[in-house]
This record gives sequence, structure tokens and C-alpha cells, in this order.
Amino acid sequence: MAGVSGFSHLVVDVTDLDRSEAFYRDVLGLEILGRGFLNDERPNSTLAFNTHHRIVLIQVPDKVEPFRPNSSSIHHALMMNADQFDRAEERLRGLGYKIGDNRAQFRAVGDRNIDIFDPDGHRYQLQTYNPNARAFEPENVGEVVCGNVKDYKVGDVKAFVAGKFFVVRRAEGFFALSRWCTHRKGLLAWKPDHWCFYCPMHGVTYDRKGENTSYFHDVPPMSAHPLSIAADGTITVRPDELIERESFDESQLVAVPC
Amino acid sequence: MAELQSVNHSAICVHDLQQAIDFYCGVLGAREASATDFVTEDVIKGRSLHRSIIIEDYLIALMLARDFMPMPPDEQLRGTHGFRHAFGVPRDRFKNLMAVFKQNGVAYEGPVEHHAHGPFGESIYVKDPSGNFLEFLWRRDEGVRYDGVTGVGEG
Repeated sequence: MAGVSGFSHLVVDVTDLDRSEAFYRDVLGLEILGRGFLNDERPNSTLAFNTHHRIVLIQVPDKVEPFRPNSSSIHHALMMNADQFDRAEERLRGLGYKIGDNRAQFRAVGDRNIDIFDPDGHRYQLQTYNPNARAFEPENVGEVVCGNVKDYKVGDVKAFVAGKFFVVRRAEGFFALSRWCTHRKGLLAWKPDHWCFYCPMHGVTYDRKGENTSYFHDVPPMSAHPLSIAADGTITVRPDELIERESFDESQLVAVPC
Repeated sequence: MAELQSVNHSAICVHDLQQAIDFYCGVLGAREASATDFVTEDVIKGRSLHRSIIIEDYLIALMLARDFMPMPPDEQLRGTHGFRHAFGVPRDRFKNLMAVFKQNGVAYEGPVEHHAHGPFGESIYVKDPSGNFLEFLWRRDEGVRYDGVTGVGEG
């Protein structure tokens, strides 16, 4: 295998090295390491992140084309911590930039993003995740009646708006799963054609046990809510209470009363 | 101290998603992270058709280009399309990387040695199957401890 250890740097073509160096330092907040590190006859400047990642600006004689012809949506995301992001918002407003996010509808709760272009039109996203990105915030809806066991076939999944949860009917019994994705708190959809729960924010998927089936590593199973079944078969869920799970087991299911 | 931690991910365009996956995962050792294929909800919301891969601490969203992107000349291996991604390789694995490229029929230019007063050691330059320029290098500061990269794969 190739043995790549990770990302090193992004080489960026610019038309005016002085102007771009100032932008990347004063607007974005990178640290200038120095000029002329690359074996390249063109003027170049290397700027540092706090990690080992770098941006190398190279001054080119012609107009810069930040995108290849017929490409689209080319961008680079620059990661900050939450404090740096707060300072960036303040800094950018102070410099007269309009703070905006043209993909806001795709952000999970707690994802924050600012779109910004450098002087040559390279598109960046300044991003952070709030510390509360995964925090559970109950809607205080109390108990939600979810119909009768007779209303469900084995395999059924029904979504409930108040309290944001699903009721899942498995052969062994029922349980209630939170609609909040445990990855970055996007709102999950049930996709009956694919038999999976799907998060449109980052593409995480879960099976009907609520277990992660996507390529994302280390995503916990969907959280659950207490569910009870009365003697007459009425199903009640308490979505204000969250049960975090490490994995699925059948003891999490509530059996149908005989 | 800088006011930024890392480059988290990039979105680039390719001509053939499977061909790109074969290169980035099969040759470079990336792993697939997510896929947004022809799913009705995604299309309605205007999401791009893409597959994401993670190379260690970096995510690249490989998006299908709208149309054929003019390719650089076959003989040109070092270049930019406005930008170029560079990936690190431990110095003691650098020769092995060149051998891996040879085994897989990936043409490269270099190695090119950079100036000793900077952090960069030697680089080689390649193109992915869609003509995107890439660089691989070992760095003189590979023993220096920096802040760790977090958040990869989550953008």
C-alpha cells in the first residue's frame, strides 16, 4: 500500500502574493511561516495551521482559474474550534464581510459554517462543530400515544413528529428510536425502499435495530426512548427521556402482551 | 498561534466515480466514507452526486463533473488547476510509494528536493485518472508534534 500518513498542504495559485498572504493571515487567521520553501522558481509563501497542515501560495503570472472548466461546487473546508469560530465571525464582520452559509439547510444541529472566497475566487468554508452538537434537548411533549399494536405489522416503522421519534415493530416486540442522528444530530428519515434510516446531512445510515450501517466509523446506535404497551395494546412513548445505547439487544424490545 | 486548526476536506470533480474510488482507495489506501447516489430526496434537495473517501486525516468528496473537464497534456504530471493537494508520506516509506506507483502503472514526476530551510523534503507529482494534480512528499518536520487533526469525515 502507498503508506500515505495524511494531508500535508494545499497549493493555491494566486495572482498577487502580497495581497493573498495578507488575506490568508489577516482574514482567515493563518500564520505565515516564510517564503521560498518550495523548489519552484515562482514566488511562494507557506502558511501554517495549528496542526501539521499548511497552505502554500504560489504566484502565477496569468489569471487564476480556481475551478476546472465543467466542474462545480469545488471548495475546501477549513476547520476551527468553537472559540476560533466565534472570533472569526467577529473579525470578518469587523472587516466588512457578510457572514453567510449557502448550504445551511444541509447542516446538522451544531454545525456552523461561513462561506468565504479569497481574492482570486478560491472558495472556502470555515467550519466548526459546537460542543452541544450532540446534546439531547427534550421537547417536553410528555407521553405520546402511538396507536395500538394491531396497527403495526412486523417490520413497520412509523415516524412521529411530536417528540421526533420512530416506533419500530420487530418480530420480538416494539421499541422507540430517536430521530436524531447520533453522528452530528441531523434529523433521520426512514427509507422504506432501502429498509434503513438515513441522515441527509452526512449520509449516515442505520438498520431497523438502529445500528450504524454506513462507512462512518464510531457512530453509536440510534438512541431510544421508553416505550410501554398497555393490556389493551395501546402503545405509549416518553420521548422526553433518552436512552443511549452501545448496541442492540432483544432486551430493549417491549413484547406484545398476550 | 494560528486561528485555524486544519484543512478538513475538499470537494473535487472527477469523470468516473468508480474509477476514482479504484485509484484513491485501491492505490492510495483511502477508505470510502459515504456516498450520495441517485436518491430522490438528495436530488430534490440539490445535493451533488458524489462519493467521499478518507485518506487518514483528510476527506475528499469526489463529485461527478457536469461535463467532460479538459485534461492536461499526458506528459504534464506537475501542475495545478488553481490548486493542488499534497499528502505526506513518512520519509522511510517514500521510495516504497514510488514503487507502488510503478506497480500500479501510475506515472509520476520527481522526486524534486525542496529547499532545506523549509519544512518540505522531497516531492513527487502525479495525476488522478480525471487529471487532478496531486503531490506526495516527506517533510523535514515529520518529528515535530503539532495539534492533532480532528473532525475528519464529519463535514
